[in-house]
Amino acid sequence: MGVFFGYVLASIPYGCAFSLVAVGLVLTYRATGVFNFAFAAEAYAATVVYSELISHGVQRGWAAAIVVCVIAPVFGALLDFGLFSRIAPGNRTAKTIMALGLTVILPQIVETAVPSNPPVPPAPFFSTSFIPVWRIGGDPVFGSAICEVAGTILVLIGLVLLLRTRRFGLPIRAAVESPKLLELSGVDARWVLRFAWMISTALAAVAGVLYQVGSGATVDPQNYDLLLVVSIAAAALAGLRNLPIAALGGVLLGLAEGLVQGYVPSSSIWYPALVPSLPFLFLLVLLIFHPTLRHLEDTIDPMASIEPPPPVPAVAMRPPIVDRTIRRMRWPFLGVVVFGVILFVPADWTEALTEGAALSIVFLSITLLTGLAGQLSLAQWMFAGIGAFTTAQLAENRHWPILLAALAGALVAGVAGLVAALPALRLRGLPVALLTLCLALLGDDLLFPTSWVSNGTSGVPVPRPSSIFGIDFSSVDSEGFFVLTVVVMIAVAGIVHLLLRGTTGRALTAVHASPIGASSSGVQIRRMTILVFMLSASIAGLGGAFYAMNQQTVSQDSFVYYFGPIYLVVVVTIGATTVEGAITAGMAFALINNALMNVPQSVGGTQLHSTALTVILLSLGAFTYAKHPEGIVEYAKRRLAKTVFRAVEHNDHPLVSAEDSA
Amino acid sequence: MAGALSVSALVFQDVHAQYGPYKALNGLTASIAEGESVAILGRNGAGKSTLARVASGLVPVASGHLSVLGRSVARTAPHVLARMGVVHLPEGVGLFSGLTIEENLVLRVGGASRSARRRRLAMALGGLNDELRSRRRTKAGLLSGGQQRLVAVTAALAAEPRLLLCDEPALGLSPVAGDEVYAALGRARDLGCALVVIETRLDRIEHLCSRAIVLEKGVAVYDATSSDQGGILDALTGSRGVS
Amino acid sequence: MKRLLEVRDVSRHFGGNAAVDHVSLDVFDGEAVGLIGSNGAGKTTLFRMIAGELALSGGRIEFDATSLPHRPDQRARLGIARTFQIVQLFGGLSVLDHLLVALQAHEGRQGPMRDVLWKGSSTPEEEQRCLETLRLCGLSDVADAPATALGLGERRAVELARALVVRPRLLLADEPSSGLDAHEAARLARVIALARRETGLAVLLVEHDLHMVEAIAERVIAMDAGRVIAQGTFDAVLHDESVIASWLGRSA
Repeated sequence: MGVFFGYVLASIPYGCAFSLVAVGLVLTYRATGVFNFAFAAEAYAATVVYSELISHGVQRGWAAAIVVCVIAPVFGALLDFGLFSRIAPGNRTAKTIMALGLTVILPQIVETAVPSNPPVPPAPFFSTSFIPVWRIGGDPVFGSAICEVAGTILVLIGLVLLLRTRRFGLPIRAAVESPKLLELSGVDARWVLRFAWMISTALAAVAGVLYQVGSGATVDPQNYDLLLVVSIAAAALAGLRNLPIAALGGVLLGLAEGLVQGYVPSSSIWYPALVPSLPFLFLLVLLIFHPTLRHLEDTIDPMASIEPPPPVPAVAMRPPIVDRTIRRMRWPFLGVVVFGVILFVPADWTEALTEGAALSIVFLSITLLTGLAGQLSLAQWMFAGIGAFTTAQLAENRHWPILLAALAGALVAGVAGLVAALPALRLRGLPVALLTLCLALLGDDLLFPTSWVSNGTSGVPVPRPSSIFGIDFSSVDSEGFFVLTVVVMIAVAGIVHLLLRGTTGRALTAVHASPIGASSSGVQIRRMTILVFMLSASIAGLGGAFYAMNQQTVSQDSFVYYFGPIYLVVVVTIGATTVEGAITAGMAFALINNALMNVPQSVGGTQLHSTALTVILLSLGAFTYAKHPEGIVEYAKRRLAKTVFRAVEHNDHPLVSAEDSA
Repeated sequence: MAGALSVSALVFQDVHAQYGPYKALNGLTASIAEGESVAILGRNGAGKSTLARVASGLVPVASGHLSVLGRSVARTAPHVLARMGVVHLPEGVGLFSGLTIEENLVLRVGGASRSARRRRLAMALGGLNDELRSRRRTKAGLLSGGQQRLVAVTAALAAEPRLLLCDEPALGLSPVAGDEVYAALGRARDLGCALVVIETRLDRIEHLCSRAIVLEKGVAVYDATSSDQGGILDALTGSRGVS
Repeated sequence: MKRLLEVRDVSRHFGGNAAVDHVSLDVFDGEAVGLIGSNGAGKTTLFRMIAGELALSGGRIEFDATSLPHRPDQRARLGIARTFQIVQLFGGLSVLDHLLVALQAHEGRQGPMRDVLWKGSSTPEEEQRCLETLRLCGLSDVADAPATALGLGERRAVELARALVVRPRLLLADEPSSGLDAHEAARLARVIALARRETGLAVLLVEHDLHMVEAIAERVIAMDAGRVIAQGTFDAVLHDESVIASWLGRSA
């Protein structure tokens, strides 16, 4: 009994935190249709605020009460009021993107606001958390554990009672399907949704206050990744529907996690890989085989027709003269830019621009997959990594010419894309996002750290090509490579553009709008999905290879998984439906990052982390997404087209004037 | 309902409404008295559904004046109107497919007090046919489209409406089920409820409505009332806009 | 006449409830069959099984004397086209694009390879063929309009055009007149009749509107509670006692 029971006892508190978050995830999803990836981030923020309150002399019980009962509900209401209530009920992509944006941005904001990690706070009750209150069969039971278990049980009972009520329980299940129909039934759907957000944020706060990781250490945001991962798995186990199963799943997964951690020796090579990957492997299996998850997004709002139609694309409202001018001017313009960079821009900025071009290639893969096929993939950055590592290994160990190695890298990434495509044949929307998140984390945890891939943190050197087609540019290394990357970027952009405008684009638009309509018209959805996933992964792989060449080295830290979601959010908000959107996003990311890197190290006494700030800056765009799902670039173009049309034609374009009066 | 003539159920004065760039109502002026039953006719896209949506608060009034059950509304939320007794049976099935039939009924019939809720639910369950009643704990999404429609109509009638807006209530129903729905609407009319029925089939409204308004491009182009000489169909005959 | 579609002993259960219960029926080459029945009789379920949207719980379906492949797109390429009760159009595409999607899918000329090598999204011949179908369906004027912005009558016509452009051998039409006024419904019936005369198309029609059934179908099959209760000519079926009780009511 001893050892095993000890492990069980020690992991129950974790299981409780997982339970709370899983229940919160399911509750939010069922009520609002938002899969709140930001849940763990909210828990983290709650822990930090709780800890800060205590360090400012607030009594623990009061601090917990303030966080759970005041700050969290208000924050939840604000989230709903400011962000989620502004999304059209049927727009699931926007919901996922916003939640991802929040996940990315919240920890960055907390870390910027509270620069040094605060200490792990004590449990709200019991005098000292880390002294055993009593012993069961010789194993210590800590006050914090009692707090956690009792708190979880109380909260869950309260929630179940609340959901039983006619006033709240029934509307909350109805709201997700159609807030409008709920309104017609005499229920204020806005407040039902807002209340659901307040409750679920409060749940995150309870989890945050009770979640005690690393006794005596500081609050580390990375510890909350596991909280998110495990609770997603528990929520998936519940089919994102069943609250009791979600709660139970959380506890069981917490136990499994604790037992694995206990029994697999920490010196084993499996330990660092297996422990974090376990919930993901579990989630992967669930996503593929769980029947409910497959039909997760089958229901459509019966009142969807009331929503106004999406705006017309800018291209459709541009006067012909503008089209002609753009067509005539684009190559000269590009030439001027490229030569300007070569002649006048200092080397570090040239490299930033090259990085921008390489990122643009990766982003074009998102244009293809998300903008065109409507699939949310969080693994594009991992595919880029696969391309980069393949390139590096082939060039370093097999002495392949670097460009040939890059092509091989793209191919290998394409094959990896097939792995993502096969489950995606049966899933759409959110489950694909979760699945690709799984893949990205598995890549990050299992694949990239191994020595035969990345050589660990020391990395693999990646040479840049010094000549192509007999043109030697080794003497002007960074400029030559810049031109080469831009050429590749333009070629990829051309291909993606042809697909967007061609038969593929038309067929995928059809599939996205009505899968059954497209399929009944003979469109081979499976073949298309596989092809697009593979092509998109290859493009990402190629971009990754050029990114690595620009860095000149690639290590396990080069392709961290969470940039997958970040880049997805950035591209979608800037514009995933056009080639220009991806290029703008790539360039903006690299240039802003470089600009921030040049800002003096200390501003306002806080350490400036350029990537974090870039991420915050660009992810803020996610919040424009609710209003402009077509992306910022497209929106700006439409505004411009409107102005130009007036100037050129001196009369109102029918489409433009219609929108004006809206 | 003291003083039958005191309030109009629905008054549109130069009402405009639109979805995004598309204009749907273009200065509609019409008035419907309490207890009156009116058919809204017109081609697809003439603004018929929008008329109902504006009246139930789903679509805001862009300009003009609208009053519902004596109360002036412009941006009033649908739930406020619903609690006043406006019941809108929208186009489409009008049920939550993830809830059971019974839960749908509980939600859709509403009711301010516990006794009112009980009474309405009992009435709704009584209005269902035997097959649907025996399956009242199944998810609405598992029923056929027509069956869901029947449940939605039953719920709307049981909600004790003062103003009932029906958007093609018999759509997708078999002839016999359609007849049943219209018979039930007739009973609601007889209880003093104001009825606005959007319909594309003239034969359906013959026995139900005493008045018909024809919409075209978002305005009322014809308003016909049945008289002693003939029914509503006679009044409409020869008018333009009816095909 | 040759037997085109053969449905034998087909059943489908939803959670213990038999929506379709051992149904057998035939559609012969070039024939138009109307399927009527009360709400929940299993018409739409049967229909979706024939189209490949739902799997069978039992029985078999053959098309042209061979058993059908599983997926809707495979069946579409065999020549089974379909329209929907709730219109399934492609938001963001023009009317012409709707037809091009179906035509190119049918001909197997759709995909990244073609786009990159050909540089064009459609050939003049393809467009010509689509425009001919649009003319047949009376949609020539709106060929470039976004399809989802049209009125319901035209949207249903677009769906029909999308189905007809590939010159199918069997058209499955699910309540095509639903929500249309008499004028629009008659127009749709005329288009179907015209297409049948031109290409010898067979039609299986689910419909509640008497006039529509009469205008299109040569033979009528009535269902109730998952079973076939009557079949024969329009007049014969409409005078059947069980059909009057379960479907037609006093309108007869």
